[in-house]
Amino acid sequence: MRTRARALASALLATLLARVPAAAADNVTHYVLDPAKSKLEFSFSQAGAQNKGRFTHFTTALDLAASDPAASHLEVTVEMSSVDTGDQERDDTLRDADLFAVRKFAQARFVAAQIVKTATGYEAVGKLTIRDMTRDLRLPFVLRTATEQGVSAAYMTGKTSLRRLDYGVGQGDWKATDQVGNEVGVSFSLRLTAR
Amino acid sequence: MTIRNTTQRWGAVAQLLHWLIVAFIITQFTLATMFDDLPSGPRKLALLARHKSVGITILMLAAVRLAWRWANREKPPLPDTLKPYERRLARLTHGLLYLLLFAVPLAGWTMSSARGFPVSWFGLFTLPDLVPKNKALYETLVTTHGVLAWTLGVVAIVHLLAALKHHFVLRDDVLKRMLPFTATKAQGSDR
Repeated sequence: MRTRARALASALLATLLARVPAAAADNVTHYVLDPAKSKLEFSFSQAGAQNKGRFTHFTTALDLAASDPAASHLEVTVEMSSVDTGDQERDDTLRDADLFAVRKFAQARFVAAQIVKTATGYEAVGKLTIRDMTRDLRLPFVLRTATEQGVSAAYMTGKTSLRRLDYGVGQGDWKATDQVGNEVGVSFSLRLTAR
Repeated sequence: MTIRNTTQRWGAVAQLLHWLIVAFIITQFTLATMFDDLPSGPRKLALLARHKSVGITILMLAAVRLAWRWANREKPPLPDTLKPYERRLARLTHGLLYLLLFAVPLAGWTMSSARGFPVSWFGLFTLPDLVPKNKALYETLVTTHGVLAWTLGVVAIVHLLAALKHHFVLRDDVLKRMLPFTATKAQGSDR
């Protein structure tokens, strides 16, 4: 019991210490997603032609430390069953066990504990988890902040590309990439509002 | 055998186009039969993609063939032995075949567009969508494409039977003049 309490205390202390830099960075703004004005899309090749899809349900939380981007934090959670490629049969196939396996892995998540400034904007340095596979991902984006009717808003846009097989999206026959390409383009255009 | 048509026989280009299209139509029926039995998956996608590419190839060959026919007004005439109704029937069959060579692939292409699946030609380029996505139209076109394809199959068999009748019953040159490496009576060694 005592060791457990001690472990808890030290964990608490570690957490407090870890929060110090963030607290030191003044002006951390907490943004949340405005779903109505945000989109998360992807593109993929099917039978030699480019096809598009999107996720209709996802959340985004951005803690932006204006003076210290490194202390910023980004988290995106995607409801995988909200996939919409404009074709019911294809969407159902994507939700199945060999692809997204939404029954087992309902959400995909990108967590970045660091945001670095680049020549053209920012880059969120974090980890992306799809299904049960987690990989490092550097997500480049452009950020524009504005004050709209007294509310501070942030517009985040960017794109990247993933290899679906890196995340196990494609088991069994779907491991083949001749009909459905391995490369998947991801693009997003988000509107966030300060909490 | 000449490149262009003569009054005795079809030239090399007309023959090549004719037999390529025959081979591709057989391919199309084979592929369609194969993927109809498959559950959706990469294998079905692969066969469907091949079917679409071959279909677009037939459409392109049909256009070349029509252009070539138009540029080659000279062609072997129908035999004099035909009765007037047989001439009309022959023209009708040939007209229908040409029409269907365009109609079947176009219906298939439109069907893919209505489904929202762009058509790629062997992965080399993507064709434009002919219509915006429309579920009801897609369902209709599935039937249309199928009915037109079977019509093409039936008319092609009538065409084949007629050619065989000319060759084996009437013993004229109608089939031979569409075949390479055969001598026709008018120009052959027995003249």
